[in-house]
Amino acid sequence: MDEIEEFNGRIRTLGILFILVIVILLGRACYLQIYDGVYYSRLADGNRIRIIPTMAPRGTFFDRNGELLVTNRPGFAVSLLPLTEPIKPEVIQRLSDLLKVPKEDIEKKIAAHSGFDPIHIKSDVTPDIVSIIEEQKESYPGVVIEVQPIRNYILNQMGAHTFGYVSEINEAELEKKKEEGYKSGDIIGKFGLEKVYDQELRGENGGEQVEVDVGGRPVQILGQKEPVPGNDLVLTIDKKLQEAAEKAVDEQLMQIHANAAAAVVMNPQTGEILALVSRPAFNPNLFAHGISSKDWNLLNNNPYHPMDNKAITGEYPPGSTFKIVTGTAALTEGVVSPTEKILDTGRHWIIPKGNAEGEALGWIDFTQALAHSDNVYFYEMGNRLGIDRLEKYARMFGLGEKTGIDLPYESDGLVANRRYKQKNFEDGEWYLSETFDAAIGQGFNLVTPLQAAMVMGEIAADGKRYKPHVVKKIVTSDGKTVKDIQPELLSQLEVPESVIQRVQEGLHQVTKIGTAASSFRGFSVDIAGKTGTAENSQGRDHGWFVAYGPFTYPNIVVAVIVEQGGFGSQSAVPIGRKILEAAFGIGAYAPNAQKNIDESKAQKLRR
Amino acid sequence: MSAMTKRLLKRTDFLLLFSTLGILVISLFIIGSATHINTPSEQRYWYVERQGIFAVVNIAFAAFLMNFDYKMLQRYGTKLYVFNLILLLAVMILGHSALGAQRWIMIGPISIQPSEFSKLIMIISLAGVLEHKVGKINSIQDLLPVAAYVGLPFLLVLKQPDLGTSLVFMAIFLGMIFAAGINLRLLAGFFAAGIAAMPVLWHFLKDYQKMRITVFLDPNVDPLGSGYHIIQSKIAIGSGMLFGKGLFGGTQSQLNFLPENHTDFIFAVVGEETGFIGCTVLLLLYLVILWRGTVIARDASDAFGRLLAVGITCMIGFHVLVNVGMTMGIMPVTGIPLPLMSYGVSSLTTNLLAIAILMNIQLRKSKLQF
Repeated sequence: MDEIEEFNGRIRTLGILFILVIVILLGRACYLQIYDGVYYSRLADGNRIRIIPTMAPRGTFFDRNGELLVTNRPGFAVSLLPLTEPIKPEVIQRLSDLLKVPKEDIEKKIAAHSGFDPIHIKSDVTPDIVSIIEEQKESYPGVVIEVQPIRNYILNQMGAHTFGYVSEINEAELEKKKEEGYKSGDIIGKFGLEKVYDQELRGENGGEQVEVDVGGRPVQILGQKEPVPGNDLVLTIDKKLQEAAEKAVDEQLMQIHANAAAAVVMNPQTGEILALVSRPAFNPNLFAHGISSKDWNLLNNNPYHPMDNKAITGEYPPGSTFKIVTGTAALTEGVVSPTEKILDTGRHWIIPKGNAEGEALGWIDFTQALAHSDNVYFYEMGNRLGIDRLEKYARMFGLGEKTGIDLPYESDGLVANRRYKQKNFEDGEWYLSETFDAAIGQGFNLVTPLQAAMVMGEIAADGKRYKPHVVKKIVTSDGKTVKDIQPELLSQLEVPESVIQRVQEGLHQVTKIGTAASSFRGFSVDIAGKTGTAENSQGRDHGWFVAYGPFTYPNIVVAVIVEQGGFGSQSAVPIGRKILEAAFGIGAYAPNAQKNIDESKAQKLRR
Repeated sequence: MSAMTKRLLKRTDFLLLFSTLGILVISLFIIGSATHINTPSEQRYWYVERQGIFAVVNIAFAAFLMNFDYKMLQRYGTKLYVFNLILLLAVMILGHSALGAQRWIMIGPISIQPSEFSKLIMIISLAGVLEHKVGKINSIQDLLPVAAYVGLPFLLVLKQPDLGTSLVFMAIFLGMIFAAGINLRLLAGFFAAGIAAMPVLWHFLKDYQKMRITVFLDPNVDPLGSGYHIIQSKIAIGSGMLFGKGLFGGTQSQLNFLPENHTDFIFAVVGEETGFIGCTVLLLLYLVILWRGTVIARDASDAFGRLLAVGITCMIGFHVLVNVGMTMGIMPVTGIPLPLMSYGVSSLTTNLLAIAILMNIQLRKSKLQF
């Protein structure tokens, strides 16, 4: 009987043990499902829900007349959806073979990735690749095709430096811009307006919320968010004028066998940039779907730096165009009267520096000196002013600092001054000969073509300096104006009106009797101009031409430089003339010019 | 109505019967869900049909077995023991390997997992041996022969390697010698020796088994490999919350994030699709079975019946503990099925036969007055 009781006791112990087992299991279930339930629900959703972004189309660029400049075209991108399981090496191999992307690159992208957003493998693939992936879904688990608008620079090289280019965000940019909502694989503006206005242009990506199975295969769409297209830019650029300017530059470079040039066309009364040219150029479409290393090397190894926007980044000695500054300073400071005549014997009497070709113009006044770009006269002006007053006026014109144009990588230029010499040279003392050089735009002085245009523009606009800009208006994709960019007056030259008029008249005479007279004979619009020939220690001189017109109410200012083009009157003036013709619709650009040519051809045929 | 039928009706343990049938019904729904019965395909009913057919066949067979007295088993103890050894050896020689372990023998279209049956055979033959030693296991000399008797098949199972089943052997052995009145000091000593032997045993484990135990201690060691099962299973159960995502509505199981979800990890489907409420219902049904098992053991007419009932109840209880605990991350992954729930002919047959034996013992308990 004892035995039975002992047994029953032990059975009871076992029974209690079983109850304990169930209680423990229930407790654990309660902990997982009730206490931690929300947490695990989120994990379960993370397992099954993927967001496949729909890229927003970037904003379009229009010219000032509503002509299309930069747009988008539909493209396809290949991405990998991160899976709960590791992505199989044979899938990576297959993708690498299909897309011709090195296996290591794909692996790197997978390794660098976190979270559940798709891993971007290749942009802008051909329709064949899309259909291969769609047809052989089983061989490509987790691979998805995303529709992706691809940037389309319909004008190719034209305006490339202004428009810029886009490309996939790199690690350094991502690090900096994470807070602004940029993600790996995003397309970002790298240059030009694309870079400056990226925030406006990029829009807001939409997305599809997709339920996937363990193999990453989409099972159903749970939700959708439409992308918001980026804002459009209406530029101040005039497509026709831009086209004409590029053509003029290209023709001239071809003719004189030069390689690099830049041109700026601006409205001096508003600061609106009408055309901006830099040569050599590049095709921004190359970057839209990932530039090949061959193309990149070609661009990178070009000694004339096609990727630089020379119109705002290039720094050149201003040469004789600087005489505008020197002349204004001399008249304002009263170191010379407009009628005072100075004897040019071919050389200055203190330091034997003379004119480029050694010619002597005899007794000349201010207007004649400016028209003929006489060096001796302006050496004397430099002598009378001294370097400090020259510097003051150069800075008054806005030289030596960025103009503030809405394009990236603008250079400051340089105004010759004592501090610069002290800081950068062992022999920090300032010599008179250096003042002489500075007075005619040589020596330390450096300007960008845009700055040269600004100086000319300030004379044209009676001393007003407007902030140059390329964007006129920012509008939403459905046409609402977000921002209307008004002319911004930066400063007013503190010189008497009479002085500006004197300078204007001198520049007017340049195209009448002076250095550009032969090129502008019979030109139906009155033009003021100034040529320049900037000495270049690296090779041939750079040729300059700055001009504005019509003389009485100027709304066009042009600045042209031809690198190593020799005399400005021979290299830069022909370009400037053609641009002015296009701007005023005269000469080859007269409304009936094409008709006349056609008629003469027809007549020839009739004969 | 014959006396036999009357007695049958009067003595049938309806609680045990209905909780068993209840679990079977639940299992058919959950297996259906886990094998995508809601997705149109040719084989969508395959698993449910098979499990259902074998359940019906087994229940019919179990009912037929009620005609025989369980005490007959006593006579076959030694023969069953030998048969068991032969079966386990056959697995080693002929077996198909799955997940690194040889566990299967194909007989026609049916794959048999002898280690499942061997647990029940083990219980029967051990009950036969222990019957005569009740209250007489007081020294190592008393214990050793019994330990050796169990040790041989235990080692064969361990060699397969089937860590889970060998642990079940251990649990059954401990439960039965405890019930047989082993001296508690001796039992404590045996435990101590077992714990001391663990580091030695560790060396005999296969790498994947070591990994399973490491991963049990910290699933994040290998989240996409061995830890994957545990993590995904916990996510499935946890995300079921109070009411579950609805039958066929579990994202973890329907989208295949959860592997083995109709066999070893079926409890995770229960947790995900029926929530805490479903888990509670199921676990309480098991508790009823365990409770009835202990009551039947207490009321059995002889020592053999008592030991048999204890062995069976321990087997089921241990399975529930280890399997459900594993899906919730409090037990290592050992690959033992959930009784009456997991898909699998061998496991289902073994467990239904075990329940049938319990009912048989109940049917023939002595204390009943006519």
